[in-house]
Amino acid sequence: MVQQQGLDRAFGALADETRRGILTRLGDGPATITELATPADMTLTGIRKHVDVLEAAGLVTTEKVGRVRQVRLGTERLDDAMAWISFYQRLWERRLDGLEAYFTLRNGASDGTKGTES
Amino acid sequence: MTELDTSETIGLRMTRQLPATPEEVFDAYTDAEQQKIWFSILDEEPGIVEIEVDLRVGGTQKAVWGPDRDTLFTEVQTFLEIDRPHRLVTESTGNDPSGQTMTTHVVVTFEPHDGGTLVTVEQTGFPTPEMRDFFETMAWVGAFDRIEAYLTRR
Repeated sequence: MVQQQGLDRAFGALADETRRGILTRLGDGPATITELATPADMTLTGIRKHVDVLEAAGLVTTEKVGRVRQVRLGTERLDDAMAWISFYQRLWERRLDGLEAYFTLRNGASDGTKGTES
Repeated sequence: MTELDTSETIGLRMTRQLPATPEEVFDAYTDAEQQKIWFSILDEEPGIVEIEVDLRVGGTQKAVWGPDRDTLFTEVQTFLEIDRPHRLVTESTGNDPSGQTMTTHVVVTFEPHDGGTLVTVEQTGFPTPEMRDFFETMAWVGAFDRIEAYLTRR
């Protein structure tokens, strides 16, 4: 359940347009708080608050480099969400592929006139 | 066909045309003995597959699979609606080898189509409304691609 709460927090953090904008920007590579604030037309304090929410949700990580704070995508939570979609996608592909092979083999076996074509 | 449905709710939607009647497909899909055969029919290496089915509303279907005992995936589906051979509604709880779990809603339909059966799987119900909003936001869809690319090349 801890994991699920973490995901909830991640998706709560993503409900805000500005924060999604920050993630989109970070998809192109790491940026400083100032670099994030410029296109968003926001104060450094405002951006810093959003970055704090994203960091608490595990969506970004920050690192102090000299006098600036470097922000980059934190992949753990995104990996979680992607991993679940991927988990189920593979499971359903396994089921549907398996059923298809099962009936195709059965049909081939019950219809002698079709021979052994693959 | 596999797609991430971003139009209404987050989820998976998959369809497949199968060469059998809806009754045959429904029974093969739900019967434990047949499942044991088709679930691993395409595995090139022998692995672990365990299937248990209690096909009644409130009953569960458990599937355990993986390459070995240390790497097992589990899915437990609780039957919410059983309408042979048309429709099956379940709540699915998945467990990956690291112990994480996720519960979602699954609707599988079996429709007569083109001399066989068209199977449609729709899986929805990810954790929060925020998650749905997140995937619904068109602005985000492009970002998702970019982040996926980022994760891939990491």
